[in-house]
Amino acid sequence: MTASVSDAIATAIRTVLHDTGRSAQAVVPSMLLSTDLGLDSLDLAQTIVLLERSLGVDPFRAASGSRPSIRSVADLITIYESAVKPS
Amino acid sequence: MTRPELIDIHEASAPDRLAVAIRDAARRSPEETAIVASAGSSDRRSIDYAALAAMVDHFEAAVLADGPLGVVARTRSVDTLVAIAAACGSAGVPVALLADDARDLAGELREWSVVDDSLSLAGTSSPRPPHEDGPPHVVVATSGTSGPPKLVQRTWDAVLAAARLADQWHGLGWLLVYDATRWAGIQVWVQSLLTGGRLVVPASRDPDTVSRAIVEEQVAILPATPTLLRRLLTSGDEKLLAQSKLARITLGGEAADGPLLDRAKAVFPGARISHVYATTELGEVFRVTDGRAGFPASWLGREMPGGIRLSTRRDGELLVQLSRDSADVATGDVVELRADRFEFTGRRSDVIVVGGAKVLPRRVEDLLRSVAGIAEARVYGQPSAITGELVAAEIVLVEPLPTGATPESIRAAALTTCRESLESYGVPRILDIVSRIKTTAAGKVSRRPLASTP
Repeated sequence: MTASVSDAIATAIRTVLHDTGRSAQAVVPSMLLSTDLGLDSLDLAQTIVLLERSLGVDPFRAASGSRPSIRSVADLITIYESAVKPS
Repeated sequence: MTRPELIDIHEASAPDRLAVAIRDAARRSPEETAIVASAGSSDRRSIDYAALAAMVDHFEAAVLADGPLGVVARTRSVDTLVAIAAACGSAGVPVALLADDARDLAGELREWSVVDDSLSLAGTSSPRPPHEDGPPHVVVATSGTSGPPKLVQRTWDAVLAAARLADQWHGLGWLLVYDATRWAGIQVWVQSLLTGGRLVVPASRDPDTVSRAIVEEQVAILPATPTLLRRLLTSGDEKLLAQSKLARITLGGEAADGPLLDRAKAVFPGARISHVYATTELGEVFRVTDGRAGFPASWLGREMPGGIRLSTRRDGELLVQLSRDSADVATGDVVELRADRFEFTGRRSDVIVVGGAKVLPRRVEDLLRSVAGIAEARVYGQPSAITGELVAAEIVLVEPLPTGATPESIRAAALTTCRESLESYGVPRILDIVSRIKTTAAGKVSRRPLASTP
């Protein structure tokens, strides 16, 4: 499960970078989305739509109230892993 | 061709008029084709005026014998739909013309008799009290472009109002690409059958079928939305279309862009192209016939034929004043001044809001279609918890692809073009290559995200 979620996240981020004309790079969990990868809010929104397509969930749409903080790739992995886990 | 003893159908009352016109045509030229069904396919079927008039007579007799409260037409064929409508008007019984997707609305009409292609009345309806609720009317479903479809009641006068009956409009071939039960489609078959014309109904909206129907049936007039025309021009058989005898193309329902109009002029050099601007509330407001996109800038702020005045709000929304002492009506359509023309940039309600910034989808679609290798484009708002919406797009590629191009290279070129011309929030973040663009029943581009469409 961990492998597929983190693979999907890495693939989505590389697609966002590629589509916006930036060079795709290796994506590792410790990277910070904005500082290390240069993602802005539009990039993050695109990543989430791409992940909804590959993983079938959008944890941010379902969540009401406060949004969990997403600073690093690891944060995304944690959020999506708990979202795809059968409850 | 001379037409002796032409009946002035205006002498008939509005509800009678369609049946009178069909019977008159059957009397004068019984073997003349009234309707070609499944045109452009091997199932082609032709119905002459004598046969159509016999269907009207048959059904009118059944209605008069049974006396239903009203009739709900649930037909698959256009000829039976026409016969039911004409017979009900003539018999003074209200009629509902409903498409497949509006049939769950028919509960509102549950005491009416439901009639299918067999033209037999079930005989289960409540009897109609004499002179119950004024003149017989027509019930249709709205297109659902700006909300869920709902049933609306129209008088026969309103149904027939736009038909042009002058001699030059008689005996022509009309193509019906619209749904026959929608307002735009009803206008086409009413016009054709009131004027002894030939109504050509293609077997499907597939561009090759439509191309064959236009050429084989010698269609003279093509009423269509820009989306349907664009599909025909980009995917239809160009060699075949070059043989067409089209004399007129009447566009409506959406704004037509310059490249589409130029391409239509190139493929159909003999056709006069007009573009009707109409709204649900106002009906037809004006008609542009010079073959260019938008309308002349000089039309703004001066009285037009019919006493209409056009103006714009600060945000570019087009306002229409129908007469000197009436209030401005907001149309919901946004226009932009480009050189000597006002061009339509989109509907206010289509605006995609990305993190507070507004994007007009038509502008992005026009840009995408300017990219070599892209035939059609649809831009819509993809809901996002982060930015409210994201700009999303679907593109259809030309066939065959330009030399040396791949789907991936065209997609990349599209994104580059958008990045060069648009603010970052306007660049599509989701860009899918699809085999065809989804259209509404009315033949317009759907602006809803796929997930929320049924």
